[in-house]
Amino acid sequence: MSNNSNWFRVLTYVFLSAFALFNIVPLFYMIVDSFKTEPEYAASPFSLPTKLHFENYAKAWDIANMDTYFMNSLIITFGSLIITVLLGSLTAFFLARFKFRFRKSTFAIFLLGMLVPIHATLIPIFLIMKNIGLLDTYWSLILPYTAFHLSLTIFILEGFMQGLPKDLEESGVMDGAGVYRIFWSIILPIARPAMATVIILNFIYNWNEYLFALVLISSEALKTLPLGLANFVGVETASMTLQMSALAIALVPIIIFYLLLQKQLVTGMTAGAVKG
Amino acid sequence: MNTLKGTRAAIFFGMLPALLIYIGIAIIPIFVSLYYSFFNWDGISAKSAVGFDNYVRIFNDSVFWLSVKNNIIIMVTGLIGQIPLGLLLALLLNRNLRGSTFFRTVGFMPVVISSVMVSLIWGMIYNSEYGFMNALLGFFGLDSWQRNWLGDTSISMYSVSLAYIWQNCGLYMVIFLAALQNIPGEVNEAAELDGATGLRRVFRITIPMIRSTILVAVVYSISNSFRVFDLVQILTGGGPAHMTEVMTIYMYNHAFVSRQFGYGSAASMLILLFSLIVVSLVNRLGREKDS
Repeated sequence: MSNNSNWFRVLTYVFLSAFALFNIVPLFYMIVDSFKTEPEYAASPFSLPTKLHFENYAKAWDIANMDTYFMNSLIITFGSLIITVLLGSLTAFFLARFKFRFRKSTFAIFLLGMLVPIHATLIPIFLIMKNIGLLDTYWSLILPYTAFHLSLTIFILEGFMQGLPKDLEESGVMDGAGVYRIFWSIILPIARPAMATVIILNFIYNWNEYLFALVLISSEALKTLPLGLANFVGVETASMTLQMSALAIALVPIIIFYLLLQKQLVTGMTAGAVKG
Repeated sequence: MNTLKGTRAAIFFGMLPALLIYIGIAIIPIFVSLYYSFFNWDGISAKSAVGFDNYVRIFNDSVFWLSVKNNIIIMVTGLIGQIPLGLLLALLLNRNLRGSTFFRTVGFMPVVISSVMVSLIWGMIYNSEYGFMNALLGFFGLDSWQRNWLGDTSISMYSVSLAYIWQNCGLYMVIFLAALQNIPGEVNEAAELDGATGLRRVFRITIPMIRSTILVAVVYSISNSFRVFDLVQILTGGGPAHMTEVMTIYMYNHAFVSRQFGYGSAASMLILLFSLIVVSLVNRLGREKDS
């Protein structure tokens, strides 16, 4: 019996390690090779670089306009995130803490959004943005990102706020505070854990989005990181190491972000998938 | 709280902006898309109503059926690669192994990386001249296995699938792990008392306990497979010769490359329809087995 379970343990570790390698190697190989010179890479992708060629990074940063892409991604990601979380938490507050006509149907309409495949909205959104002159502006992405992520945001926050004790608002009511005051200074601070999940989720979805950016943004100065990177790699086909440096520049921050906020990210994305 | 003065107005105006943005941008466009699908329109000149003509043309287009076939490949390989593998990983990690946090962290990592990055990374791995894959095979002396992974049409769709599985497997692992951790300890104790151990316990007790989660995961995996765009667009662009084109790429090409917005809208409606049909079928099958 114990012999058997020892074997099982070994097999488990072998399998899990193989899986871990499968996950890490593509990323690791890319980062290692990004420090090589082009001939060094062509000779063998496996060898370690003889010298760390940081100049690849300087060059990639320069040629690929990485600073512009980072800036645009930050503006669009946070622009949409702030609006989504603000409007979403306010809506969730009313849905969770009040009784009113159409409460259920309003909530149901918002939930419906989690089932909507966003590509089905792409063509009309493109034409609407074009007609109102927002095409190829930050707003052309901020608005759709907000619209698409309100559902999950409201769903998660409503669930959390619903679970808070019923008499929470009472002290506020006694003090004669208005509804918004109660929301801002009583409910919102307590909802911090759920807010953190929602903020992280919105961040990662907005930061990674590609299809809408591809269709709605055309000027070089407004491209987001995924769009700019895809473009850069498509153009800079001659130098693999340069491509890898550009990718690594974009990859490292997101990996650090993930390692720091792993718990919330995992819970949030799992909830998003299971409920969505 | 209903009694507060002006509460009703506060509720209304508080939810109004969210409702406006959400309904205006996420819901109405679907109906607009449906409307456009009955027109022939380049977005500039006047629309001309064509009835179901766009749909008829799509159904007569062999490229469309090729893209449907490729979507099915992604769906099936995705299901096979994500659900059983994710479940196996979750079962192994649920045993309080040493280092399970590490494996979970690493396993979930690709999920947070954008699919653009995933495609770019795998594009380099598959590169036929300098790619990691061929170099690795050469390193082990398996030169005869070397391929043009994305250019060889007999395997290119599976190469895309592998990258797709790589990116998503960790998500299912974590979903299943969460479900496993919710199984009350008494259930396992009772099973042990009854002498159910090892594989028997897994199949007779553990898996039935998380059945509903598995069903949700299957549905999610299917509806995700209909949304695949970034991965294919960047890895192959749907080529060579439409051989890796999926339905979203088909829609994109018609709408935004050849500016046939009506035709593209019809394609987008078909994607919506197909995914609804498959998802509801699976849901029904899953429920039937319940009763």
